[in-house]
Amino acid sequence: MIINDVVCPFCGCLCDDLELEVEGDRILRVQNGCSLSEATFMNDTRLPAPIRRTASGWEEIPYADAIKETADILRDSDRPLLYGWSSTHGETQSVGVHIAERIGAVIDNTSTVCHGPSILAIQEVGHPGCTLGQVKNRADVIIYWGCNPIEAHPRHMSRYTTFATGFFVPDAQRERTIIVVDTRRNDSGGIADEFVQIEPGGDYAVLSALRAIVRGKESIIPKKVAGIAKEQLIRIAGICTNAKFGAIFFGLGLTMSRGKYKNVRNAIELTDELNRHTKFVISPMRGHGNVYGSNEVFTWMTGYPFAVDFARGIAFYNPGETTAVDILRRGECDAALIVASDPGAHFPRAAAEHLAKIPTVLIDPHVNATTALSRIQIPCTAAGIDAAGTAYRMDGVPIRLRKVIDRGYPDDAEILKKIYDRLNGELGP
Amino acid sequence: MNCILNTGRSVSQGVSVEHKGSEEYRSVASACLLNTVDMLVLGIEDGARVRISSPAGQVVLTARSSDGVARGEIFMTIGPYANHIISSETHGTGMPDFKNQKVDVEATDEPVLSVGELMEEIGGMRYDH
Amino acid sequence: MNEILVKNACVIDPIRGINGDIMDIAIRDGRIVESVSDRAEIIDAHRCLTLPGGIDSHTHVCGTKVNFGRYMSPEDMRAGRTRRHGRMHVTSGYYVPTTFGNSYRYSAMGYTTLLEGAMAPLEARHTHEEFTATPHQDMLANTLFDGNWAVMDAVREKNIPKTAAIVGWTLNAVKGYAIKLTNPGGTEAWGWGEDLTSIHEKVPHFEVTPSEIITTMIRANELLRLPHSVHLHCNNLGKPGNYQTTLDTFDLVPDLNPDRQTLYATHVQFHAYGGGTWRNICSKAEDITRSINSKPQIVMDMGQIMFCRTMTMTADGPMEFNLHCLHHNKWSNHDVELETGSGIIPVTYSKKSAVNCIMWAIGLELALLTKNPWQCLLETDNPNGAPFVKYPEVIGLLMSKRYRDEECATLHADTERRTSLFALEREMDWHDIAVMTRAGQAKALGIVNQGKGHLGAGAEADIAIYPIRTDSVDPAREYRKVVEGFQKTRFTIKRGRVVSRDGEIIVDGANATFWTNALIPEDIRVDNDPEFIRRFQEFYTVRMSNYPVQDLYLPRGRRVDTEAFS
Repeated sequence: MIINDVVCPFCGCLCDDLELEVEGDRILRVQNGCSLSEATFMNDTRLPAPIRRTASGWEEIPYADAIKETADILRDSDRPLLYGWSSTHGETQSVGVHIAERIGAVIDNTSTVCHGPSILAIQEVGHPGCTLGQVKNRADVIIYWGCNPIEAHPRHMSRYTTFATGFFVPDAQRERTIIVVDTRRNDSGGIADEFVQIEPGGDYAVLSALRAIVRGKESIIPKKVAGIAKEQLIRIAGICTNAKFGAIFFGLGLTMSRGKYKNVRNAIELTDELNRHTKFVISPMRGHGNVYGSNEVFTWMTGYPFAVDFARGIAFYNPGETTAVDILRRGECDAALIVASDPGAHFPRAAAEHLAKIPTVLIDPHVNATTALSRIQIPCTAAGIDAAGTAYRMDGVPIRLRKVIDRGYPDDAEILKKIYDRLNGELGP
Repeated sequence: MNCILNTGRSVSQGVSVEHKGSEEYRSVASACLLNTVDMLVLGIEDGARVRISSPAGQVVLTARSSDGVARGEIFMTIGPYANHIISSETHGTGMPDFKNQKVDVEATDEPVLSVGELMEEIGGMRYDH
Repeated sequence: MNEILVKNACVIDPIRGINGDIMDIAIRDGRIVESVSDRAEIIDAHRCLTLPGGIDSHTHVCGTKVNFGRYMSPEDMRAGRTRRHGRMHVTSGYYVPTTFGNSYRYSAMGYTTLLEGAMAPLEARHTHEEFTATPHQDMLANTLFDGNWAVMDAVREKNIPKTAAIVGWTLNAVKGYAIKLTNPGGTEAWGWGEDLTSIHEKVPHFEVTPSEIITTMIRANELLRLPHSVHLHCNNLGKPGNYQTTLDTFDLVPDLNPDRQTLYATHVQFHAYGGGTWRNICSKAEDITRSINSKPQIVMDMGQIMFCRTMTMTADGPMEFNLHCLHHNKWSNHDVELETGSGIIPVTYSKKSAVNCIMWAIGLELALLTKNPWQCLLETDNPNGAPFVKYPEVIGLLMSKRYRDEECATLHADTERRTSLFALEREMDWHDIAVMTRAGQAKALGIVNQGKGHLGAGAEADIAIYPIRTDSVDPAREYRKVVEGFQKTRFTIKRGRVVSRDGEIIVDGANATFWTNALIPEDIRVDNDPEFIRRFQEFYTVRMSNYPVQDLYLPRGRRVDTEAFS
């Protein structure tokens, strides 16, 4: 059977034009997708059944036992951490927030080690953005700053920017100017009209220089800023102010390098400045397929996009304190529930190490590095493959992930609801 | 040799990200990209092994030369190998220094561990399936 | 069978012509009935003021920009937090509360139905997800068409049936209720960082004017026989001298529908400014109300501002950028491809600002100078003018000249000279307030025959019982009692269940979402039009098959079918 217009759940692009050939519980072929998408659908090896760590290895256990033990662990915990959420759909995220509220947990999502600093910047200065179709149909200047779309979002350029035919940009390749800013000359830099190689840690200074030039203060700029010649900076500022519609996409090169959220703030303020000359927008390149959805769901339910601590009864938010890496580094949490993510691989050593010291439960379809650190893993459906649900694209457009096959696994939302019901039953009103 | 560790995503990391026990993932995540001149200084060739140390820990990786990497910098894909040496300090932001970790690089003959072995080093237990 | 008998209620039910009668209300299985059995639960209203559940016909509570308002404002989230207790979830936020915060606070004030003022079709799924998390009010969504490319093309072709077909398909696809135009044409111009300054200026590239969009959409709306009229946020919002644009717009409106208005003009306070700069801005409420008083085909709402810090959020992207250039605080913008724009900035309305004082006065003038309260409904464009929790204060101001005088004495000295408010003696009565907060909304939205806004047999049992004795409170003098009374009901009954008692939510909610489904002849349906499909697939970034909102996003969807084109 051929299924059209399938949504790829892997990255924040949520490309929704895939064609899948399926037979029974198997996917035979993926068309239109990138290599990440193909791997997502075709190499989908699952943990077969719930497992529990024993003194010498691992044993399979029934779902009911795994769910009961998980509920027991959470109930008995004084300071539980619920983490992950970005590779599953909104309904699961929503049940997760309810559990966190019920047991007074800290709940955090993967933006904490991704675009968390972008959120902090947005909370200081706002976010002039748009949906990706605005860029596709109008933009004549595209800037990729501290991100590598060819590697991390392989179809971003062909669907939304460089190579995408837009209504006001019928001849995209000729009519769009592409600027790539990075500390490293990567493949994305290779196709740029202007490649700007910044010295590591120099983003803030370069952004400040561009803001100054846009404000007409180029005389104060030294000959070189973080390795960039003044002439190139002036040329780039000129390209921006002469654009009809400009779009900046930025990645972890801004959020993870020195300055972190202040880099992003500076980039947003450059965008703000450019809007006094022409139309300019800026957007983070969100990584996980539904990481933006976890921010949205957390926000409408708790008021905060990530790092929410319910220990006081109310929702409390203080990044740096209530963020997952900090909670783990301080050895503060005494139990962890990890859903749809892999902090074992993606958290610094000391943070991951604490997960192995406390009862950690992983609800995820795949065996990953966190498996080894867990006491229990409960396999479930993968959103967009054998489960349907809502995901939010990097620009905030909500898209319904489809269920294309059935592999007989329970939905993670169902597993969490059973845990929630147990907790409600045991903890009373 | 003192270097700054920078990390990022790559297609091959993304393709194998749900197969962390695989040889493919190990080879992607444990590759350490160095500037060619830095490799000369260290006296190593492409494919040789290097030990990277930081206050957070140390890990053995496979060196790969790359012209895209500046001198004094090393690049790795995000993942458990890089995280074995990245500090968990977030400076009050929640975000560790994934692109700005000071490390020491030296040549070594020691083997590159598997992801399972890395996890066992920090108290985990491999699940082989 | 679930029965309740509300006894000794002092009922004001304007739609049925009841004004302060003491009576009993019988409820069975969510609806109002003639009588119930003697096993019914009894609620004694003790002669307290009992009204149909409140209806807000223009508020921003759910969807992309509302949530972005929360997302960017941890400072506000900290301002309004409550713990989980009983049936109530944690809430955060004062001027942009979380969905549960909105729902609980509206319910405590007796509100049972809300119209979300602006939903971008492409992001409709988000709005519906938040509707589900706003459990104590039935929801309706205004759907944005102000910069819709297909609509502007059809308007340029002067093709009313095609315009109607596009609107009908879209409302069906996104489960929207009504047509919303926000700065028509201006939001498309904002795609290039520009705006339109007159209703006769052409939209770049599309070669249509706001005036053409408005008049064509009004005709299309009536051709579709939609229950609500076109819902318009006029061009030039918030600009000194904009009253002329507003009057010119009102003059475009024919009288086409015997059952309701032909145009709903929203938050008119923001569109009633004289002068030409912020230095000489003045009220033109008298001109606006003169026009309204002679045009029964138009209903407006106040757009009252109150002195406080709040968040402005609108599809009117260019207006928000202009405002940002004045305030220099944080600014968010979110343009939506082929459809509309949006902007969000925090503001503080201060009594030290002459402009803010004049704005405050204009909202009240509009209400007091409109002869027929059915034509000027009470709201603050929540949260743009003020968060909705300020409605009781607005009611108090409308009912008490003394309250207004006391407030006026604290305002910027220019206010008296540049508005007429100080001279207005009118004090509204309980019946006026009932019209302006529920009955008028039900009629304007076209939901009276859905059982909303009245307490007749067959109506939905949405009832608000306020701790106010109209026979003993003199609102002109005891306005504090009025304000307090409207802040917290004794009982809020939603579809036959007591959901809120003395401000405490006591059950889990189960709201419904109303949406319109116009039956369009096969030969003009746009989903049969190859050119429409081609342009959709080429220029949107989602496939046409992934665009419609699935029924499961509306767990209690209430489809309103219309006999379009008949």
